[in-house]
Amino acid sequence: MHPISKVNVAALFLTLLIQNTTFGQTKISDKEQSQKPQEKIYLKQTSAEGIRKFKKNFTASWNKTFINFTDNSTYLLAGMNFSNQGITAAGYNAGFNYNISENTASGFKSGYFAGFRVDGLYQDKRNYSFQVSLNKIATANNYKDTKSLPPFLGSFSNFKADDQFLNLNIAMHYKKLLAISDTSKYKFYFVLGPSLDTRLSAQSADNLVNNNYTRFLLRGDLGFEFENKNFYTLFLHYKQGLTSFTKSPIKTNINSFEMGMMIKASDLF
Amino acid sequence: MKKHLLYSLLAAFTFISSCSKDTTLAETNLAQKMIEDKAWFLDYSQTGTLTKTYVGQATYYINFLKNGATQDSDGLNGTYSVEKISGQLQIHVQATTSNGNAIEYIYTIVSAGASNLILSYTLSGKTTQLYYTSKR
Repeated sequence: MHPISKVNVAALFLTLLIQNTTFGQTKISDKEQSQKPQEKIYLKQTSAEGIRKFKKNFTASWNKTFINFTDNSTYLLAGMNFSNQGITAAGYNAGFNYNISENTASGFKSGYFAGFRVDGLYQDKRNYSFQVSLNKIATANNYKDTKSLPPFLGSFSNFKADDQFLNLNIAMHYKKLLAISDTSKYKFYFVLGPSLDTRLSAQSADNLVNNNYTRFLLRGDLGFEFENKNFYTLFLHYKQGLTSFTKSPIKTNINSFEMGMMIKASDLF
Repeated sequence: MKKHLLYSLLAAFTFISSCSKDTTLAETNLAQKMIEDKAWFLDYSQTGTLTKTYVGQATYYINFLKNGATQDSDGLNGTYSVEKISGQLQIHVQATTSNGNAIEYIYTIVSAGASNLILSYTLSGKTTQLYYTSKR
């Protein structure tokens, strides 16, 4: 072999040896480095699989449970409410007294609410709606009975009613289309259903003492709604308290008028 | 799936309804708030069936200040605290007379309001109720 060829072969051999050694080292290093991303990918796949399974199960369960509720549309709603609170508390005794004349008021006080509503058909023939809203309620407190301790105390009560509440309201309505005007353009509905309020706000210091207010309030909801060519719906509801918002022996009845407007969510977003 | 829904609902219900309150503290705080920073004037006292009226007369009064100090028309100065002992709200007063003698007494709060206060004490087996109205 020519000396230059020998040198060439040796150089080639050395080059291959060095390359092989370096390449081999790189491979090991790559393995170590790629372990973490692989774990991440595995975890991602696992969680994605979990989410996919949950979604599938949830959808199946939802469809199974709400099989009779079809043709659903989601609306956003907001409006004002006007509330009063009728109070019967003469049977309640506590170590505090409140002057009735400073705490009683007639009429209604205004508040506001906002939320969403799903309207659709039940069993393909009955209009229904399911509403969830946050209600800021202010009440005019009307004491139906009083106590007195003559000659020292005139009209007083041992209970001071709260007049501000933040409630999460869930309501379900049956909607009856009324045959008024051209129903292809304007629709008038009569609505009726139960409404459940969950008090989210804390009680006042006066009521914390005996924890007078309950967490839940059940009311009956009835009203009229006007739908204008699918653009928007105006509504007026009256909510009559069915259960007391306070524990026995105090009885408080919260009644409200609600007026507002709702718009299809798909028209806004 | 039904289990998940059930557990979620149970958790939400527990979260919403599990609010334990320290009612004793709430009660003493409220009573404190009712009586503090006002001058309380004695209008009536009642022992058994005997009622005395002080309306329209120069009468006894006591001040309960926000900082826990108290002073009355008899010249007593000192401190007070609102406590709940054996299920009863009480005002505990530790004061000194104008002569420098220490004096301590406890009134039971029968009813406290923003402008009306009924206190009571028992002496020799006889209970006396004191009816005060407030002037800021």
